[in-house]
Amino acid sequence: MVNEQKKVMMEVKNIKLRFGGVVAIQNVSFDIQEGEIRAIIGPNGAGKSSMLNVINGFYHPQEGEIWFNGEKRPSMEPYEVAKTGIARTFQNIALFKGMTTIENVMTGRQLKMHKNFFWQLLRYGPAIEEEVQHRKRCEEIIDFLEINNIRKTPVGSLPYGLQKRVELARALAMEPELLLLDEPMAGMNVEEKQDMSRFIVDVNEEFGTTIALIEHDMGVVMDLADRVVVLNYGELLADGTPKEVQADQAVIDAYLGVPH
Amino acid sequence: MQSGDAVLDTMPKLLARNVQKFGNSPAFREKDLGIWQSWNWNQANEQIMFLAKGLIELGVKEGDHVAVIGRNRPYLYWSLLASQHIGAVPVPLYQDAVADEMEYILTHCNATFAIVGDQEQVDKIQDITEKLASLREIVYVDPKGLRKYDKTRLHSFEDIIHSGMESPSSIHDQLQDRIGKIESGSTCVLLYTSGTTGKSKGVVQTHGAIIGAAMSANEHDGLTKDDYQLSYLPMAWVGDYMLSVGQGMAAGACINCPEGADTFQVDLREVGPSYFLGPPPLWERIKTSVYIRIQDASAIKRGAFNFFMNHAAKVGKDILEKRSVSILDRFLYFLGDIIIYGPLKNMLGMSNVRIAYTAGEAISSELFDFYRSLGINLKQLYGQTEASVFLTMQNNNEVYADTVGKPIKGVELKIGETGEVLYKSVGSFKEYYKNPKATKETKDEDGWVATGDAGYMDENTGQLRIIDRANSVGKLKNGALFAPKYVENKLKFFSNILEAVLFGDARDTCVAFLNIDLAAVGNWAERNNISYSSYQELAAHEQVGKILKEHVEEVNKDLAMDPNMSSCQIKRFLVLHKELDPDDGEITRTRKVKRSFVSEKYADLISALYSEKTSIATKTEVTYEDGRKGYLEATVKIVDATLYEVKKQDKNAA
Repeated sequence: MVNEQKKVMMEVKNIKLRFGGVVAIQNVSFDIQEGEIRAIIGPNGAGKSSMLNVINGFYHPQEGEIWFNGEKRPSMEPYEVAKTGIARTFQNIALFKGMTTIENVMTGRQLKMHKNFFWQLLRYGPAIEEEVQHRKRCEEIIDFLEINNIRKTPVGSLPYGLQKRVELARALAMEPELLLLDEPMAGMNVEEKQDMSRFIVDVNEEFGTTIALIEHDMGVVMDLADRVVVLNYGELLADGTPKEVQADQAVIDAYLGVPH
Repeated sequence: MQSGDAVLDTMPKLLARNVQKFGNSPAFREKDLGIWQSWNWNQANEQIMFLAKGLIELGVKEGDHVAVIGRNRPYLYWSLLASQHIGAVPVPLYQDAVADEMEYILTHCNATFAIVGDQEQVDKIQDITEKLASLREIVYVDPKGLRKYDKTRLHSFEDIIHSGMESPSSIHDQLQDRIGKIESGSTCVLLYTSGTTGKSKGVVQTHGAIIGAAMSANEHDGLTKDDYQLSYLPMAWVGDYMLSVGQGMAAGACINCPEGADTFQVDLREVGPSYFLGPPPLWERIKTSVYIRIQDASAIKRGAFNFFMNHAAKVGKDILEKRSVSILDRFLYFLGDIIIYGPLKNMLGMSNVRIAYTAGEAISSELFDFYRSLGINLKQLYGQTEASVFLTMQNNNEVYADTVGKPIKGVELKIGETGEVLYKSVGSFKEYYKNPKATKETKDEDGWVATGDAGYMDENTGQLRIIDRANSVGKLKNGALFAPKYVENKLKFFSNILEAVLFGDARDTCVAFLNIDLAAVGNWAERNNISYSSYQELAAHEQVGKILKEHVEEVNKDLAMDPNMSSCQIKRFLVLHKELDPDDGEITRTRKVKRSFVSEKYADLISALYSEKTSIATKTEVTYEDGRKGYLEATVKIVDATLYEVKKQDKNAA
């Protein structure tokens, strides 16, 4: 799967992130190629979510550079990052619980709606046209992720696995170039995990979306990912195909422990 | 079969008639991207013709078998019709069939082409592709997930339509030529039976039979092009074929396809069908969901619900059947309709139902009356695949829970010497595909077909009553009648019991396996703070055993009333550690128990039931949804139930 000619979409270089005296990420560099599924794994506290938050613009690293589509990215806020075509889901689901599935997914289109507040308030003419167009795109995503039976159900009353899927739908509604998934399969049973894996592969293949995901389930990672980054205590431990990483002694030691 | 000037005895003729007479009325609808899309007869005809031409270009020959697999969608109904137009024979398959079952049918009928709904079905076929020597091309409707597949033998539905659209006039001529050759006696469809005894058989049905039976049924209920229904039953089941294609085409009625597998309830509500067919488990499920929800409602709502439902139980049926009811009761019912029945029916999607049927299994009178008292005209019909379904149907105002109606037009019934129901019908099948032996055993030279069901004509009502499958009726050692299904149905009428299997043929006493209904019992457990993590755990719960024991004893008490059946009382029973599952071959896709298979598979449990043991450890093979196999280990408890004396005095007094 790894192809040398593939274009690098994102590159993080020598990232260093500190919270006060605590070092979360220490000098980490890796890249994400266009069209691949890139997994970030590591034990608890390894700095995986922090890394995603850095890419997402939520944290600002003290040192290091982020290159996106061949340009060095200045320090950005999350909403600015979102505008550049990076969407994400969260480890602890962050949906509007009182709103229905379709309403939640529609919020993902917010950045793409251009009619101003007053037009939308009037709900007339161009504003309606625009909403219809966006609704269509959202319905396609809902169909794609097979959540049409819960279209009008408030998400707060949905089981966990489905909420995760709604969150993915909302992220997809942004039509991102790069999709960041923070533990998309945490807390799911085997069947839900299989479903979710299939959707992730489908999104990657059908929409051509580049995906970077954090996941604990090694079986899932090995099946899904094209390339894997392993972090441990904020440091880069290994980087390569699932096979290479699995055979790496440092990774085995980090996961299984070393005799002292 | 006459309508206007031409005899409408083939599907192409019916389609042409519908286009000519109803051209602009809706023919097919499907909810897609949240909106109901619709095709009128003109548009549908255009698509079907493009598809037919596209299939000719793909190489489909006359007499070829075309497998159609997927959930109910207009595209697949068009596939059935297009195949019929080009002289090929469509073979609808159950979409949830595992690869083994598919392999059996596809090789048995030597299907050369398959038109499937989505990636899931493509995967299943590709898994067994080496064993399907005759299968040549696969057409898929939904391209999702198929982007990277090898496309040499895979074609998208859209491409086929497109090739039909741009086909040369020679193809057009060929199509017209093929349509011209189709006659009433040509094969219309090959439908596989569910196969309660052994492998399923392919039933060959002609155009004339399907349309004849459909027209009789339409006439019975006055179905017209203004009726509409929701096509949600499996496309491989004869019931859906007759309703959606047979009756729909014959009447020119619109077919509505749900959005997806799980959206049935919402779609039903939006469509609000006027004609509806459902098997008893569906009716049971709907009623259970109503009662579960009302338990969570506020006290006032609950009070109103209970009051008016009691009132409906008292007079609702009489009002529906236009018998005399006091003015006060009528007024109360009218009020109830505004406050409870109307909104409830609306919520269930039953507001516009003019005619509803339950078929396939016996239905409890309590469940049956629940719907009728609400003013929903639920009736019974009886039929089978070999008869293009319709044999007997109940007339309005002549509706009973324990009978199945009178023979409809074109059907003759008689009861054989052994008590088996025999019929002659316009809808009778031609033969079992590649099985002349079975054809001979079922259909005699005069055209009488044996149903395999034991029954009799009820003297009071003049309607047919079905007791059991003829071959499952047996005798206990003491010579008493053993009618397992009769008892099993009594058990299944309890909402807590999903399935029951009774054993006792050539034994001293009767014993039973039970399956709990996970929805009903799970809800009970939730309310009583009983925690469980799986079906197995809940089934083995002591209190569940107690509840089921009460149910079994109630059935025993009931059986004791009837001197003919009193020997069928259940002495010992157990709650199975797994649900009987079509994937494991224990029940059919239409949820009929395969008795001999079950008794072989669980022989250890049966012998334990006939011993003194109070529990038994067992290991059972299970098949997962993706076809993998695994083992389930469990210790199953055996419960003794009380038997009741036959009340002889009562019988004399009566």
